Amino acid sequence: MNQQKSKILSLHNVGVFYRRAKGFFSHEKYWALTDISFNLYRGETLGIVGKNGVGKSTLLRLLAGIISPNTGQIIIHNKEIKISLISLQAGFLPSLTGRENTILSGMLLGETKKKMEYRMEDIITFSELGEFFEQPVSAYSTGMRARLGFSIAYHVEPDVILLDEVLGVGDEEFRIKSTEAMKKRIHSDKTVVLVSHSVPLLREVCNRLVWVEGGKSKAQGDVNTVLEQYFLSMKK
Amino acid sequence: MLNFQKSYKYYFDLVFQQSKAALRVEASRGYLGVLWWILEPIMYMFIFYMAFAHFFHRGSADYIMELLIGLVTWKWFVSTVVMGSNSLMANANLMNQVYLPKIIFPITTVVVNTFKFFIILILLLLFLQFSSKTISWTWTFLPVIISLQLILIMSLTCLFSAVMPFFPDFRIILENLMLMFFFISGVFVDISTFPLKLQKYLYINPMATLISMYRKILLHKELPGFQGLLYIFILSLILLSFSLVLFYKYDRIYPKISVR
Repeated sequence: MNQQKSKILSLHNVGVFYRRAKGFFSHEKYWALTDISFNLYRGETLGIVGKNGVGKSTLLRLLAGIISPNTGQIIIHNKEIKISLISLQAGFLPSLTGRENTILSGMLLGETKKKMEYRMEDIITFSELGEFFEQPVSAYSTGMRARLGFSIAYHVEPDVILLDEVLGVGDEEFRIKSTEAMKKRIHSDKTVVLVSHSVPLLREVCNRLVWVEGGKSKAQGDVNTVLEQYFLSMKK
Repeated sequence: MLNFQKSYKYYFDLVFQQSKAALRVEASRGYLGVLWWILEPIMYMFIFYMAFAHFFHRGSADYIMELLIGLVTWKWFVSTVVMGSNSLMANANLMNQVYLPKIIFPITTVVVNTFKFFIILILLLLFLQFSSKTISWTWTFLPVIISLQLILIMSLTCLFSAVMPFFPDFRIILENLMLMFFFISGVFVDISTFPLKLQKYLYINPMATLISMYRKILLHKELPGFQGLLYIFILSLILLSFSLVLFYKYDRIYPKISVR
């Protein structure tokens, strides 16, 4: 494998807990992750598998720098690098137009206003919203909103893309188009971390897999090997 | 930390865009939209005017002016602090989706409310102009006092918003605390008519000092006391630096503790 490639970041025995209110003045710790270790290499597509509720989303938030670990260490080897979780419709305000939300959401995802204005035409075209682009988002159907959200997120370009089950959205036609576009992006030399339950997709796009179980990184490495272990554990 | 350090310009733009968006959202609410930024404060002032001028028979022109100045500046203070202290909680969803320095949220509230305050301030100054109180050279101190109040508002809003996610119940306490301060800040009574001994204590409250300063320069052609200015400035800086420490320390903890 690409072990020679440069590391972007390394996780060493990382753990995260949330606090849950337990009653009057008392909290209990809820450990979402307990012991996660892996490296992320430049240019690879790393898949993360595991059952629901094993802390995969927490892991992505950790990589995006939204939250900090409670135990263990995250080392970023290149501080200049921009790592973003692709959040669809982040910061959308329904009473603003598609254009206004594009600037706002794009900026929240880390782009400058200038860059978003520069990409505006591409976003309008990709979203296929036509005249609706100048209408308040509250007038959109759910599908249209999803299309706008995806188009914005797709035209934001961080160095490392973190994806949480969002490859394609919207109606059948747009879903195929957006999935294809995202796959193309993944296949480029971008570094991608992808959380997904879809085994065919993971097989198709990932170079390596990390299997998360009970807050721990159980196995990692070659896609087929890790999937085999994962399936084996499910049969038990 | 994990994200690269973005330039200040980016964050400045972001606060500006967020504030503009918040104002647009407000304007698109209801049929009257932007008009509410003027109508609402007028309604608010009118109620107090009726209560004090007619029911309590304190209707002298000078008193009305004092009351209006007190109300306008107090409203700026209280609505920003109460709304802004909730700003981290209100954005819990967003801060779990993207990384943002948390101070952006209270600052945005301050910008939005300050913009609305300026509209009312202009109305108030025009009103003073057309009444017996004409412009005097002491009005030149207005920008100084407004800036001072802005720093005070900023520091308290930041501090409360930084603390609130840890103690959500503080919101109820804060609202009642604000009501208490409304009564002791001299909004509808002139503290300078109180016994000196009591005045000393009342002026520890920076809003009481500020409101009396506004009245001095706008109505009485007097200068604000330098001591008072310095006191509020230093107090605000201390509170602001304390909140900056909290924001720095808990930057990536807030998303974890905020309810989603």
